[in-house]
Amino acid sequence: MSLLLIVLLPLFGAVLPALMIRSGRNDCTIATAAINLLSLGLLLTHVPAVLRGEVVTASWAWLPTLGLNVQFFVDGLGLLFAGMILSIGLLVVVYARFYLGKGEPMGNFFTYLLLFQGAMVGIVLSNNLLLMLIFWELTSLSSFLLIGFWSHTVAGRQGARMALTITGCGGLSLIAGAMLIGQLVGSYEITEILEQGDLIKNSSMYPWILLLVLGGCFTKSAQFPFQFWLPHAMAAPTPVSAYLHSATMVKAGIFLMARLWPVLSGTDSWFYIVATTGLVTMLLGAIVALFQDDLKGLLAYSTISHLGLMTMLLGFATDMAVVACVFHIINHATFKAALFMNAGIIDHEVGSRDLNRLGGLLTLMPTTATIAIVAAASMGGLPPLNGFLSKEMMLEEAAHTSWASQAWVVPLLVTIASVFSFAYSLRYVVHTFFGKVRKDYPKPPHDPPAGLWMPPTVLLILVITIGIFPEALVGNIVRSATSSVTIGQVPEFHLKLWHGMSPAVLMSIVAVSVGALLIAMYKRVRGVWERRSRPSGKAIFDTGIRRLVWLTHNFNDRLHNGSLQRYLFVVITGASFLALLAYVRVGHVPGTREMLPVGAATLAAWALLMAACVIAVVNHRHRLIALITVNVIGLISSLAFVYLSAPDLALTQISVEVVTLILMLLALYFLPDESLIEATKSHRLRDGVLAIVVGLGVGGLAWATMTRDFTTLSDFYIAESIPGGGGANVVNVIIVDFRGFDTFGEIMVLGIAGLTIYALLEGMIHGRMGKKLAQWKPGPPKSPERHPMMMVVATRAMLPFAVMVSVYIFLRGHSLPGGGFIAALIVSIALIMQYMASGFKWAAEQVRFNYHVLLGGGALIAAAIGISSMVMDDAFLTSGYDHFHVPLIGDVELATAMVFDAGVFLTVVGGVMLALANLSNLGRCAAVEEKAGDSSEFNPAMYHPKREGE
Amino acid sequence: MELLVATAIAMMTASGIYLMLRARTYTVVLGLTLLTYAINLFVFCTGRLKTNRPAIIVDGQTDYTDPLPQALVLTAIVISFGMTALLLVLAVRSYFESDGDHVDLVGPEEVVARKR
Amino acid sequence: MNHWMILPILLPAVVAPLLAMSVRHDIVLARIFSVGSTVALLMLGMVSLGIASHGETLTYAVGNWDPPFGIVLVLDRLTALMLVLTSLLGLCVLLYAISGCDNKGQHFHPLFQFQLMGLNGAFLTGDLFNLFVFFEVLLIASYGLMVHGGGGARLRAGIQYIVINLVGSSVFLVALGLIYGVTGTLNMADLAKKLPNIASSDMAILMTGSTLLLVVFAIKSALFPLQFWLPGTYTNTSGTVAALFAIMTKVGVYSIIRVQSVVFNEAGKLPFGVLDWMLPAAAVTLCIGMVGVVAARSLGQQASMMALASIGTLLIAVSASTPQSHSAGLYYMLHSTFAVAALFLIIDMVIIRRSGEGDALTEGGRFKHIGLLGALFFLAAIAVLGMPPLSGFIGKLLVMDSIRGVTGWAWIWALILLTSLLGMIGFSSSGSLVFWKSLSVDWSHDAPQDTKTGLSVVSIGLIVGLLVLLTGFAGPVTTYLDSVAAQLFDPAQYLDAVLKHSNEATP
Repeated sequence: MSLLLIVLLPLFGAVLPALMIRSGRNDCTIATAAINLLSLGLLLTHVPAVLRGEVVTASWAWLPTLGLNVQFFVDGLGLLFAGMILSIGLLVVVYARFYLGKGEPMGNFFTYLLLFQGAMVGIVLSNNLLLMLIFWELTSLSSFLLIGFWSHTVAGRQGARMALTITGCGGLSLIAGAMLIGQLVGSYEITEILEQGDLIKNSSMYPWILLLVLGGCFTKSAQFPFQFWLPHAMAAPTPVSAYLHSATMVKAGIFLMARLWPVLSGTDSWFYIVATTGLVTMLLGAIVALFQDDLKGLLAYSTISHLGLMTMLLGFATDMAVVACVFHIINHATFKAALFMNAGIIDHEVGSRDLNRLGGLLTLMPTTATIAIVAAASMGGLPPLNGFLSKEMMLEEAAHTSWASQAWVVPLLVTIASVFSFAYSLRYVVHTFFGKVRKDYPKPPHDPPAGLWMPPTVLLILVITIGIFPEALVGNIVRSATSSVTIGQVPEFHLKLWHGMSPAVLMSIVAVSVGALLIAMYKRVRGVWERRSRPSGKAIFDTGIRRLVWLTHNFNDRLHNGSLQRYLFVVITGASFLALLAYVRVGHVPGTREMLPVGAATLAAWALLMAACVIAVVNHRHRLIALITVNVIGLISSLAFVYLSAPDLALTQISVEVVTLILMLLALYFLPDESLIEATKSHRLRDGVLAIVVGLGVGGLAWATMTRDFTTLSDFYIAESIPGGGGANVVNVIIVDFRGFDTFGEIMVLGIAGLTIYALLEGMIHGRMGKKLAQWKPGPPKSPERHPMMMVVATRAMLPFAVMVSVYIFLRGHSLPGGGFIAALIVSIALIMQYMASGFKWAAEQVRFNYHVLLGGGALIAAAIGISSMVMDDAFLTSGYDHFHVPLIGDVELATAMVFDAGVFLTVVGGVMLALANLSNLGRCAAVEEKAGDSSEFNPAMYHPKREGE
Repeated sequence: MELLVATAIAMMTASGIYLMLRARTYTVVLGLTLLTYAINLFVFCTGRLKTNRPAIIVDGQTDYTDPLPQALVLTAIVISFGMTALLLVLAVRSYFESDGDHVDLVGPEEVVARKR
Repeated sequence: MNHWMILPILLPAVVAPLLAMSVRHDIVLARIFSVGSTVALLMLGMVSLGIASHGETLTYAVGNWDPPFGIVLVLDRLTALMLVLTSLLGLCVLLYAISGCDNKGQHFHPLFQFQLMGLNGAFLTGDLFNLFVFFEVLLIASYGLMVHGGGGARLRAGIQYIVINLVGSSVFLVALGLIYGVTGTLNMADLAKKLPNIASSDMAILMTGSTLLLVVFAIKSALFPLQFWLPGTYTNTSGTVAALFAIMTKVGVYSIIRVQSVVFNEAGKLPFGVLDWMLPAAAVTLCIGMVGVVAARSLGQQASMMALASIGTLLIAVSASTPQSHSAGLYYMLHSTFAVAALFLIIDMVIIRRSGEGDALTEGGRFKHIGLLGALFFLAAIAVLGMPPLSGFIGKLLVMDSIRGVTGWAWIWALILLTSLLGMIGFSSSGSLVFWKSLSVDWSHDAPQDTKTGLSVVSIGLIVGLLVLLTGFAGPVTTYLDSVAAQLFDPAQYLDAVLKHSNEATP
């Protein structure tokens, strides 16, 4: 449990600072520190057990099917790292309190910091690879926030994004690697995985696993060629750099390599990839560091170099190398964190980190100078400091490692690297504190408040004491950490200052003397360096990103170019292609059903239809003609329905036909009545071909279907129509009874259409659009007088007849062709005639009822009759019926289905009228203003295609 | 007969699709209407063709046309009517709000309008 | 008679007309009704989830006509899941909507309820033509919502959306016609029963019909190359509606899963052309989506492309069509629906406040609540990109884990990971531009009027909370989803449940 708390305390405690900041910066700091301290304390409770060589584990099930569980364990390695993270974290918190300025959002800062801390501890303690991945990515995210903390600076934003991209990329490759491992081992539990070393090394997947995992580690630990993000992460506030980029995050990669050392290391590929990368990184880092003028830049590259050193040691894959690595991890954390804080102090008190603007600060800032000198000496590897010890061990290992059976390669390069690392350490001190005092410091330099120099001093004490009493202080922890890396076999070693004369000592002497020489003649060296042009990682990265964005822009703009014609073309082509493919795969078998004979009249109708189609296509730009021909086609198809014994369809089709015609005429009143030729010939040809192909396809399918027999459910409907549904007109019975639920949905559709149309038009008449509309001048008047007398009279006389007819149609619907829908359309047509003939105003006055009410009421009636059957515990829409004698009309049978049909009737009238009436009203709104006829701002004639053509 | 109907369907579909691929909303609506006719006829046909056998129960008559596709087509007609109406009105309003009736997100009129 | 089964359709079908006819003038009353009905729907969903979780498949014969003759509603685990998902999302979006944008035009609430009705109907029905009808209901409602509020670009995009979907509907009808033309039935279960003994001479037509059927569903779920309607629509409609539309694509996915499981199951296995195409198509969808995320010129566009990408991932899982992959896919579906919705809502809040630039990815000044919105955006981006600690990460792992059996899994793994890198680049740059860079610049425009947080933030918080729960309780959730998948791969039970009467009739 306490293991869980160690991780969760910082993660969930992260909310605390964000709140506590309200009661002041100190309380905020105290809260943060308290959380940090608490989980550190919890960790320390496990120290005895771990040193005894036990492994403390804790585990809860989370997502067993995937193998992702909440599993933690603490062994030597974990303890070492967790200890470093939490203790240095504490120092950083204190330091940050005094470093951050008054105006800066300290609450957020500490929140991010704790988040990061929790994630980091999670990495080093988790016993489940997937869980570790989660924390791994969390560190990337939280460090993104920390690096970008000064988000107002360009450097901050870019640095943060670069870091996220690179480390995130690594994280992704790590995910793949981890999942491969899990797939191989059959479990993500690290303790189990560590036992499967041979299985993994011998599997065919091993190279992939190695590359993917290392991809994660190298990016995180800024190994060549991924090192370039780290210097740019220095845009972060110095406490962040001190924490993330010296002690913790960048070591995550090292940690993972150490963690998986037993299962991945020991092969040639491991040695050549890891050791070489480490070596190169170490060398390059050291060299570049020497020529950095920004203190933090110098430290950043030195960090890269030291990380390379550790990587190289792990790459050697000997037990002693591991010891050296572990030991150096500790030492590096101490002196590097101290140095970063020191750089921060200088920046804070002098106002610059630029070595060209510093120098001579020794007398002005004695404390700071002392800290810098001791820490830098350790970094440069001078006795009796801890940096010297681990460096000696490293040199020792390097001395007898041969690369590609070349014994001299590694020792030589390593020596060169340590030459430069001594050189830049020396430069850090000399060019900052020695030399003559200058006049032009940005701020009057002075030693910082205790809050700033205490934390590094604590670290310095460690640097010195570990240097002098290594065995006593860290012997055990190094042993137990090593044992958890190498699983058991820990070599006999004794950490001490003086091992007697050895190649390593000689190498160090060379390093120190040549390094000193380099600084002595720095100007000339610098000159040599400046003369050579160097590729900048950032430049490459930036151009890469820019290219990527450019490419995606091109691609996306070409693909989704907002052209409906293109979209439709692709969609239709795709659909027909797949259909064709499906048909061809199986293969066509001609049908056997014999065809119906053809009469002359039919033939004529057919010919007319074909002709009409051609006319519609040819004249589609003359919209009125096109509209009329399309309607002719519609009429012919309803004739076809009559002929093919579908009277209901015919009636419906015709009435819909009329309403649509009216609708389209009204719409045409507003739209331009001609369109230009806009498509090129080839374009039109392309469309034509597609159209013909699809047409043939659909027609062919129809033909193929019609020419074969089949069995259908319909016999049931025909049989049940009268006994079950109480209606002779099977189609109508199906609609209102057997499949009444379809109709229920159908009238909803119509209702929604009505509502939407109303909403659209309403929004057009009022508000901004209303003004635009009012100033709109229609095209040439379509008829000389607005309300022709004849038409008015005719339509008004027509109304009662229409109503009667519709009632009749409605009532007979159940037994003969007809029904609510058709009846409704007839009434609607009659009504809209009033609007068109006598004008909206008059009609609106005559029509007392509100179409919304009709529409809603209809839908509700339909629903209600359905629900009524539920009251008798029958299913929704269960019908019942009986026959009654009504004078004049005759024997009428009333079924609940007819009430439902009445609902249909009302909804349809409501919906259709809501659309038509308001559309004609729109016409009025435009036309009324037409007399006042001023059109200053908006004149659609300008966009009238006809004019535009000229 | 079947052949005539099939060819009719083919013709209507083809011209419908051609009109739909034009650049102006009104033409597209016309195209859709044509396509709807074709599709309705198509669905109707899948019940096979019969003449003078309307599905209205008469005593003694046993052979009727297949009523189910007719019912389906009825529903389809109604729905497509609603859709057409909605699309039309939308076309009108969009003609007013954006300065043209082109179907592309940025039609030539917009280009003209933006230039001004 | 378990009448409650039909209530998810009836309730909104009654409330919506009420809203339209009586209370349309009083927005407050409309809001109360709308929220009330949605809450009720959520409860109904919970109940059905509870009942379905026992593994029994419930049926409801509308009009007392036994299937296959009448229309039958079917409730199994998957349906229950979809009902809950719909009502949950609906509630969150509605809460956001009533903080202002439902007032920008007429009839928002009736349309919203109709939308829910259509969705629930599509999830419940066991009849193909009835599915068509409910598709039309939810589509036409979505048209209304899509153009709600108006504006040139939005209307244009609306026209495109409608036209493409009308083509889809026509294809749907053709498919139904063909299937009916050879099988003579429309009921899914009955169809499944009839398929094995279809004359080989009719096979070609049947194949074409079923292929076209899946094409329709592919259009709805925006699978490449049928995805064109999505970016324009999601980008140009209001954030609220876009958030609701997060469920629209899932209807297509649901239908694919359903038809695949019930109709074209082992019993009536067809040499299925489309499924072979689905995996590569899904992969391409994922790619173009993520490429779009990088290419986006506005936050809205970025979110739309992200939605597209998530569909790609989802369909990759579905096309693997193993119980495990279905379960993984469903988990990812739950996650992506909420995550994308949250993203759209947050962006909408930004648009309201960033009066000058809206959501365009150009330099602008600081705006109200920039800190809060930045944090929310960060969370949402993490979620949609599938980064820890939110459910997206788990979803991604599940999907990757589940497709291990598929040929070329390595490539798909690489694809999923590389594309999420693209996404990371896209979102980090857009986020740092809008929420960090703007911090340094002062108000470039006068503050817009209605910028009250409150409900809007609550609703977004609700969604984020759901994501957190989805992460924390990933174990139980996946257990249920496994049972859902298991049920999908045991269609016999479904068929028996639907056809029990007709089985009795014709033994």
